Amino acid sequence: MDATPAIRVVDLRKSFGTLEVLKGVSFDVDRGSVVSMIGASGSGKSTLLRCINFLETPSGGEVYIDGEPMGFRTDATGQRRLQPLSEINRMRRDLGMVFQQFNLWPHMTVLGNVIEAPMRVRGMNRKRAAALGEECLARVHLSEKAREYPARLSGGQQQRVAIARALAMQPKAMLFDEPTSSLDPELTDEVLAVMRELAGDGTTMIVVTHEMGFARDASDRVLFLHNGLIEEEGPPEQVFGAPRSERCRQFLSKHLQ
Amino acid sequence: MSDALRQSLDLSLFWEYRQVLLSGLLFNVYVFACSAVTALLVGLAAALLRVNRSWPFRWIGTVHVELFRNAPDYIMVVWVHFVLPLLLGAIIGRRLEFHPFVSAVIALGFVYSGYFAETFRAGIQAIPIGHVEAARACGMGERLILWRIILPQVVRRMLPEAVNQLVSLFKATTIVSLIAVPDLMYNVSMVTATEMRPLPLYTGAALTYFAVIWLAATGVRLLSERWRSKIYA
Ligand SMILES: Nc1ncnc2c1ncn2[C@@H]1O[C@H](COP(=O)(O)OP(=O)(O)O)[C@@H](O)[C@H]1O
Ligand SMILES: [Mg+2]
Repeated sequence: MDATPAIRVVDLRKSFGTLEVLKGVSFDVDRGSVVSMIGASGSGKSTLLRCINFLETPSGGEVYIDGEPMGFRTDATGQRRLQPLSEINRMRRDLGMVFQQFNLWPHMTVLGNVIEAPMRVRGMNRKRAAALGEECLARVHLSEKAREYPARLSGGQQQRVAIARALAMQPKAMLFDEPTSSLDPELTDEVLAVMRELAGDGTTMIVVTHEMGFARDASDRVLFLHNGLIEEEGPPEQVFGAPRSERCRQFLSKHLQ
Repeated sequence: MSDALRQSLDLSLFWEYRQVLLSGLLFNVYVFACSAVTALLVGLAAALLRVNRSWPFRWIGTVHVELFRNAPDYIMVVWVHFVLPLLLGAIIGRRLEFHPFVSAVIALGFVYSGYFAETFRAGIQAIPIGHVEAARACGMGERLILWRIILPQVVRRMLPEAVNQLVSLFKATTIVSLIAVPDLMYNVSMVTATEMRPLPLYTGAALTYFAVIWLAATGVRLLSERWRSKIYA
């Protein structure tokens, strides 16, 4: 197998004004692997995900998708130059993103939400896009809701549609930003179940989550972020079983019952 | 019943002149349609300026809105018809004259663009930023996002208010008689001048305007309600 990681993050930095949120973060996400990212609120988890697909422009460092640099190119004189939005958009197609607030487009049906980007961005015709869309809805077990409007669905169903919408772009990797944090506990499981199935199918994923159960038994690696730095990193057995960092131990003891 | 009252309710004279009055009403509809399209397009452009990232654009948008929302349409119609051609003529060094219809559409279109701009702006700012970010994350470009994600939602949200503004615009079309656009009011005045019986004519005109506006506005509201309501929980 080709060893190029699906996502490579090198010394990523991000400041908002004088507030330094990411202070140099580096990690790889191998193809087909699941990386869970945990950490206290405000530690920079969302900012990190959003810098990967350039919803926020990093202040420094690099992101590579399948080996291709995202957002920046270095010109002949060695200067880093931000790429035009069209280039950033082209690479964003390869990264599906799922938000805490679902962010479905309320004026489109469920199927409409799923096929919008394949049609308008990938230029697929409606028939092919609809077939693909039905397939993606089947993967999140919502085939029967294709013609409903999002407002008629429960939060868990809406989030599963959002997952199907991201899958429909057939991305190289999926980014999840606390996908279950705005759901009632009884709706959390149906979303986590779908995510476990995706993980089992070999989908490359970065998952920011407070669901320690998921992080422990669905992921290949766990990152603990603290104050804009990776404080602890390793396979789940190690991070959960024998964390080296005191802060990580404290965080886990607070979140593990 | 007093004579005046009986006279004003006797609409046979209005009926007698139905052809010329109807052609006048059609002019109201033309002026309305053209200035509504102008107002919506210019209003959308001004709203996009007002939500622009850079302040010079926002500033131009704000000046536009404040200027036209606070200009009386009566004065604007007269100004556009009599003053604007002189100004433009002086600039290009030629005598200019606007057809009354053109003046009417420009004046009403720009006055109402101020109102529509505010309605559009409020609608655009009510869209959660997450909807836009979800689209960006899918690789959609900014123009695509505007047309596919933002505007369709804005239109649904602003429809009730826009209908009210369109009703005001239709009523405002009556002032184009000032600059001799042969609309319903203008024709009523012409007929009055020969018949000397203003009461039934003005009553008929009032009832006609009421009926047209009420039917159109109610129709639009009924037809759009189901379409709008789908997107709300
Ligand atoms: N757009 C922004 N402008 C200014 N500060 C921001 C912005 N986004 C995030 N921050 C700040 O960055 C820090 C990290 O936020 P975030 O990445 O959302 O953390 P997390 O997702 O781990 O809770 C917080 O202090 C937050 O207030
Ligand atoms: Mg967050």
